[in-house]
Amino acid sequence: MSAVEAVPPAISNPVLKATFWSRMSDRLNPILVREVQQAVKGRVFPLMIMLALGISVVITLVVASDYVEGGNGRGAFDAGLATLVPLVFFIIPMQAYNSMRTELKGGIVEQLLLSRLSPGAVLSGKLQAAMVQFVLYVSLMSPLLATSYLLRGVDLPTIAISLMFALVMCVAATAFAVSSAAQAIVPALQPIANLGIAFGLGVGTVSMITFVASSGYSRSLGWLMRSDQFGMTVSGIVLLAVISIVMSWLAARTFLLHAFENKSTGFRIFMFSLPPLAYGWMLLFVDSPAWPQVFAGLTFALLLIGTIFGVFMITEQKKLSPRVWAHVPKSAMRARWMVPLLPGRDRGLLCFTLYAALLSLVAVVFWPNPATGFFRSASRQIANMGFMTLTYAMVYLGLGRWVRDRLPDTLQGNHAGRFLLPVLIFLFCVVPLLVDVTTRGHVRSWHIGHIMNPFWTIDEWSRGSNWSQAGFVVLAVLIGVTLLQVPTYLRGFREVRQAVQARRERLEAANQVVSEEPSPLPPAPDANPSN
Amino acid sequence: MSTALLDVKNLDRRYGKVHAVRDLSFKMQRGQITGFVGPNGAGKTTTMRIAATLDVPDAGDVEVDGLSVLVEPRKARMRIGYMSDQFHPYPNLDIIQYLDFFARAYGLRGTKRHKTVRSVADFCGLLDFADRPATGLSKGMGQRLHLAKTLLHDPLLLILDEPAAGLDPRARIELRNLLKELAKAGKGILISSHILPELGEMCDSVVVIERGQEIVSGSIADIHKEAELEQQVVARILGDGEALERFLLVQPHVSSVAVDDSRVRFSFVGDDAAMSDLLTRSIASGIQIVEFARAEADLEDLFLRTTKGKLQ
Repeated sequence: MSAVEAVPPAISNPVLKATFWSRMSDRLNPILVREVQQAVKGRVFPLMIMLALGISVVITLVVASDYVEGGNGRGAFDAGLATLVPLVFFIIPMQAYNSMRTELKGGIVEQLLLSRLSPGAVLSGKLQAAMVQFVLYVSLMSPLLATSYLLRGVDLPTIAISLMFALVMCVAATAFAVSSAAQAIVPALQPIANLGIAFGLGVGTVSMITFVASSGYSRSLGWLMRSDQFGMTVSGIVLLAVISIVMSWLAARTFLLHAFENKSTGFRIFMFSLPPLAYGWMLLFVDSPAWPQVFAGLTFALLLIGTIFGVFMITEQKKLSPRVWAHVPKSAMRARWMVPLLPGRDRGLLCFTLYAALLSLVAVVFWPNPATGFFRSASRQIANMGFMTLTYAMVYLGLGRWVRDRLPDTLQGNHAGRFLLPVLIFLFCVVPLLVDVTTRGHVRSWHIGHIMNPFWTIDEWSRGSNWSQAGFVVLAVLIGVTLLQVPTYLRGFREVRQAVQARRERLEAANQVVSEEPSPLPPAPDANPSN
Repeated sequence: MSTALLDVKNLDRRYGKVHAVRDLSFKMQRGQITGFVGPNGAGKTTTMRIAATLDVPDAGDVEVDGLSVLVEPRKARMRIGYMSDQFHPYPNLDIIQYLDFFARAYGLRGTKRHKTVRSVADFCGLLDFADRPATGLSKGMGQRLHLAKTLLHDPLLLILDEPAAGLDPRARIELRNLLKELAKAGKGILISSHILPELGEMCDSVVVIERGQEIVSGSIADIHKEAELEQQVVARILGDGEALERFLLVQPHVSSVAVDDSRVRFSFVGDDAAMSDLLTRSIASGIQIVEFARAEADLEDLFLRTTKGKLQ
């Protein structure tokens, strides 16, 4: 007998009957429903409404008092947009930040995580609540925006694009805010989170207000809409915003997940999704004459982004957690394909190697090359830089993994590894310089002592005239470093193979028990969250 | 053999240099109320948080209804109702809205959600205060709301960390009655508390830990039987108690004799036959005994005798 059944409810039928709104809201994210309920009962939201309405009235009065046929629309639009900026870039994200912080401080978030709500659903709910608030604030300002249109200062596409930008930026800022708040679950990161959010949102909002209020925004947008770079710019901004939202979402989710949950695969899939997104954007929105430069720049940027992901991947825990170990795919073939995406620093290095190989393959096939004729011009220097960056990334990530292996196998060890790797690079850059200054009295030119300084060496070699010789050395180093990591890759595979074997044995044992017991217990309810 | 509802297996947890839990093992069954007792810093909350999937051990495991909290935390969570020692309700929500939100979070939909929220609120005596803000409640009401929230998904196992802390005597009695009803409904309850007499009255068994280690576990009576080599005896005689004191001081197996007017309390080591023999000899020596009984063992007594109060 359940607790609920134990005490029969003394409730009258009308109370039991779910209202239409309640039934409809069943389909919504519970966080969204709660945030709206709280906002309606809270003080901030009505206050902001009154403030926004007041400012709208003031703007309207100023415009009306200074009315010139066909000349006031742009000013009203700028003023309305400038009013909207702090609401959507500061107030909404800060409310989400405070809401998340309150939940973390009071331990409420733990209670939430014990429910069927996944960390992802909690974060999605916050973003959805931000979007609802955005719509409410925009609807408040809509009479003003309509007035600016009627005064013929601004056209409908400008208003539509501005609102779309505002929505995307509002959600991105909220995702950033929620992610910063979630990081504060680790006490040491709390001051960084507070500073980051205050600085990031504050500076961003003030800059945007200045940009919009000085008519710089409407002028730039007007120019952009007339130019042939409109599609490329708008799609680029939206793509970057979406990427930053997903990244913030993944980061925040990591902090909220159970310690033994798989926190890595999401990031690794996301990393592998970046090249198709970037190249797809180029093919769809960038004019073909600009492809050589954009392709080279994108490939180089993707390599750098991958290297940053790599730093996190090679400083993870070494082994699979008990949960991930128990849930590896049953099929050996599927598990083998999944190896680079599964947690663990050995597999992290493998994942980066495959990512770098993928980028290299794309670069080799499509790099601007007069011989293939695919691109008209060559970008030799960027190619050299990319090649050397890749080699240094492999060297330092291999070194970083080796250092991480020597640190305690704890969460603190992971953080220390992430801190030590940049410190190591810094030392490799600075120490030879200091040696030069001490022994020679000056730093005049690059020499072999600076070989571990990636910045100087890349700059020196990639621009050098004797690249064919240097390139051979770099290739040899890259192949050597990759071969050195082969035992690491194999270790990553071996652990997954053992986990698959163990899972099969468990399943066989469980099947035997079931076949021996004629009346098994009822199956456990599926606890996987639906959203 | 049925699976234990809660099976703590060789649990170990360190926080830096502090060894919070050391090789701790115990089990509890459905419908059982188990008191989890220990001095401050003994590792109770750590153990409970690991069992509730909110922390992970360095070694060992906890199974809830046969599910490892490390391997299947999500499934285990659906069987656990965890009531932490802190309660921070959301601002700007009333009691029913608060419960309704958590019911949604537990995946309850439509009429079932409404029904569950109201029956749980009714069970915890909150229905009459349904529209009160969740933040402005008294400590007792807050704990009821916290418990109501914990019961929404009908968990098999309730893990309650100091639920009676800060409650007045009436609220404590009400909470005790609620928990007894829940145990009757088949729920297992693991409860930690510092109010030991309360715990002693409602618990079927107890696990006493100190410095992260199990000191003793089992039913309170059994523990006393096993652990109590030395039992307390209270006697009342006609006249001054000093006569009995003089007699007892020269008897074997007797120690710590204390006289309070006509009452004498002393420690005795021995079985029932030895105690009967002592009583016979005291009467034979001319002492007029009115009462002679073993002092009733309580949890507080057991706690003080089994733990040393050392912090780690």
